Amino acid sequence: MNWGGFHALSHLWLASLLAPLVLFYFLKLKRPRAEVPSLLLWRQVLQDQRVNSPFQKFKRNLLLFLQILLLLLLVLAALQPFWRGGPGRQRRLPVLIDCSASMGALDKPGGVSRLDEAKRRVREMIDGLASGQELCLVSFDNAARQRTGFTNNKRLLRDALDQIEVADVPSDLEQALRLVQAMGRSEPFDDALLFSDGNFPPRVNFDLSFKLNYQRLTPAGPNLGITALSAQRATSGGWDVFVQIEGSPEAEGNASVELLQNGTTLGSERITLARGHAQRMAFQIKGDRAAALRVKLTPDGFDSLAADNTAYLDLPESHPLRVFIPKSMVSYRLALQGLAGIELFPQDSGDEASGAFDLVISDRAQDLSLKARTRLSVGFIPADLQRFVETGTNASAVVDWRRNADVLQHVELSDLVVLNQPRFKANAGEGDLENLGYEVLVHGQRGPLLVRKQENDATRFALLFHTDQSTLPYRVGFPIFVANVVQLALQQAGLAEANASRTGVLTPVALVPRHRYDIQAPEQKLEPVTADERGILSGVRASRVGYYSISENGAAPLQVGASLLSPTETGLAGVEQIQFNEHLQVAVAAAPVKTDRLLWPPLLLLALGVLTTEWWFFQKKPGGWK
Amino acid sequence: MQPLAPRPQLTLLLANSVLDRLERLRIRAVGRRTSRSRGEHLSGKGGTSTEFCDYRDYVAGDDTRFVDWNIFARLHRPYLKQFHKEEERHVVLLIDASASMKFEGKLNLGKQLAAAFGVMGLLNNERVSVYASHQVNGAPERLPPCRGRGNLRTVFQFIESIDGRGDAPLDHATEQLLRRHSGRGVCVILSDFLTFGDLKRSFNLLFSAGLEPFGIQILSPREIDPDLASDLRLVDSETQETLDISSSGDLMNLYQEYRQGLEKELALLCRRRAGQFLSVSSEVPVETVLFDQLRRQGWLE
Repeated sequence: MNWGGFHALSHLWLASLLAPLVLFYFLKLKRPRAEVPSLLLWRQVLQDQRVNSPFQKFKRNLLLFLQILLLLLLVLAALQPFWRGGPGRQRRLPVLIDCSASMGALDKPGGVSRLDEAKRRVREMIDGLASGQELCLVSFDNAARQRTGFTNNKRLLRDALDQIEVADVPSDLEQALRLVQAMGRSEPFDDALLFSDGNFPPRVNFDLSFKLNYQRLTPAGPNLGITALSAQRATSGGWDVFVQIEGSPEAEGNASVELLQNGTTLGSERITLARGHAQRMAFQIKGDRAAALRVKLTPDGFDSLAADNTAYLDLPESHPLRVFIPKSMVSYRLALQGLAGIELFPQDSGDEASGAFDLVISDRAQDLSLKARTRLSVGFIPADLQRFVETGTNASAVVDWRRNADVLQHVELSDLVVLNQPRFKANAGEGDLENLGYEVLVHGQRGPLLVRKQENDATRFALLFHTDQSTLPYRVGFPIFVANVVQLALQQAGLAEANASRTGVLTPVALVPRHRYDIQAPEQKLEPVTADERGILSGVRASRVGYYSISENGAAPLQVGASLLSPTETGLAGVEQIQFNEHLQVAVAAAPVKTDRLLWPPLLLLALGVLTTEWWFFQKKPGGWK
Repeated sequence: MQPLAPRPQLTLLLANSVLDRLERLRIRAVGRRTSRSRGEHLSGKGGTSTEFCDYRDYVAGDDTRFVDWNIFARLHRPYLKQFHKEEERHVVLLIDASASMKFEGKLNLGKQLAAAFGVMGLLNNERVSVYASHQVNGAPERLPPCRGRGNLRTVFQFIESIDGRGDAPLDHATEQLLRRHSGRGVCVILSDFLTFGDLKRSFNLLFSAGLEPFGIQILSPREIDPDLASDLRLVDSETQETLDISSSGDLMNLYQEYRQGLEKELALLCRRRAGQFLSVSSEVPVETVLFDQLRRQGWLE
């Protein structure tokens, strides 16, 4: 069995310094001269057998022996001995460090976070890094980031390790593994090391091509957190705010939940959470004006994760849904008459509407240019689809439809007949539509009947047949379909419900097109951002829970909240086994990573100790060795 | 009436007060070895002093002047009165004046003690001679035997003039002394006795010459308790030989063991030859040595 070895055996030549050391010791040993009356007694003493015992001889030449010991320790340290840790040493080893929100959980009050624990273990590896070994640090939360390349530079690795911080987002192991796999193409490796608390889905869609050592960190303490925060428009006006509190498997106890607006408490509630259960509660907010709400959870006992104790919810200003439907589309206008909270344009008085709408339903192509977040075109094929779809003359029935689509919920289309059926052109198919971003919701016999396209913050539906030339207006499903469209429009406008934004990417914000703004993230530096040509500010990374202030030239900032709201992160669950593709499983490693333990630092310390002892003994200690 | 002028100091070696006290003391020899010359010391044998000793039967040939006629008148038998014989005693002072005695007042204390013994000898009408050994090849400096209070200054001057030098071992000095000395008494040896010579032979020679060896070993404080802080190269003050030693606790213990062993050996050598031995530190005042240590050990009476 191989217990260890030397990294720099070539330095053995330093042992030859022993010869000059001994030589110089005897040549250069300069003792202070002391005149004494007679050497009679001293000679007798030195001739005594006790003085000449091996131990006494050793003591007489103690200085020489100490110097030899010192040199041997230094030579040994120069050889860079190591104690072999694992069965084999990897030349290249990528180290994946989970830095998602759950890694910020503490193990005990005032304890260390999971990430700190992981960093400590990685730092030990870096300290024990031998020459010829290279590490590569990769941190991942919902995105993976390569912190260093494969390097042996300990300072670089330590600096990179220090820069890794917890991000208040869920983790995405798959991305990290794909990044590592990509690295392996240029710099091959056999093993990879994963430090995580295991708070990620147990099944990962990844073809593992290397050996993964899954080092799961010790579980954190109990945790309670807010996992959902939303609001719905109350029928009586105002909002109903819903909060869901969940905990880690071992978490239980009491907590206070407080709803605040601009520092003012709007409501508070005491909850008692049993193990494995969730608590849901509702607060009622009056008023129709926009409001920025903050929900604060304060557990009575120890709570290991602070990031999920606060959540933010922005409520939009309430107003009637502005819907544009040409007067020619009587069936749609009639279907909307029964719904409350809708302002229909053009009004019956004949005034043409102007400005922005929340919903546009029209059978005229030019009306689609009206500004609205939800649009439904009826009876014509949008220009971008005309390359693939055309209108036929035969009648068509519905073959299938997406019953779980929001717009088609509770809509029965089985006996719908369409007179001028849309059909795919030759050599065209559904794939062509998908390439354009369309999703087919209703399939006819020869082509799509209803498609949907998501355009940034807007949704566009297109009925490729005219409802006037179908049996749809006479079906029970028609008013339901229209009501579903209205409900979607309400959601798109934020009038029906509001959901708290999650961390990861900041909720897109409508601003002035191409204007430059400064965004201040929590605990981070001010960063400049620019709105796009449509005035949408999107793609801003929101890695921390809190308010993100968007300001322009010192003007009053617009604040957008970001909350963790992740049941998995709050649950702090750690998977025991990761399931990869092709039935490949990786279980938690039974033992911590054993790295080669370098012995030269303790040897140097020992040498320093010998040197200090020598100095103290021969220079400081009065009367020598008693 | 004018105050009395202070009495002039007789010698730099001893204060007048010490001299006054010494007048009342005399050396107490163990074996009472005396010379046949008439002196003030009662010999063990019968003599012609005025001090009565004993009676014995008259035998033919005895001097009839010593017959006790009063007893003859009462008992009608002649008895002869015996008297103590008062003989002369020599006090030989041998001062080791080699270089080793120059350390830390050793020679000075030796000279002071020699002067004190000289004073006691002269004031008790004993023949005092002084020897100071220096060189191996040369004979010791010598003050021939002298007697009486009138020689006090001579003795003082001789002793004061002794300086420390040379490498004469004590056994060599003893042999040189005995070549020139005759007379019985005591020989006070003032030395550190740190010599490589054969002291036993020297003491035997002294004893066979009728001198009781009175050894006073004078050691400096550093010899009694050496302070070795580190590795040293010791240099013999007389021979300039060197010896490397490394400080260690065991070494010091052994040194003390050997030093005390030397003391015991010297004491044994002296006692077996009717002598006495005392080891003193050179830092002890001469008054303490004389009137405390020597008196308590019965050297003086």
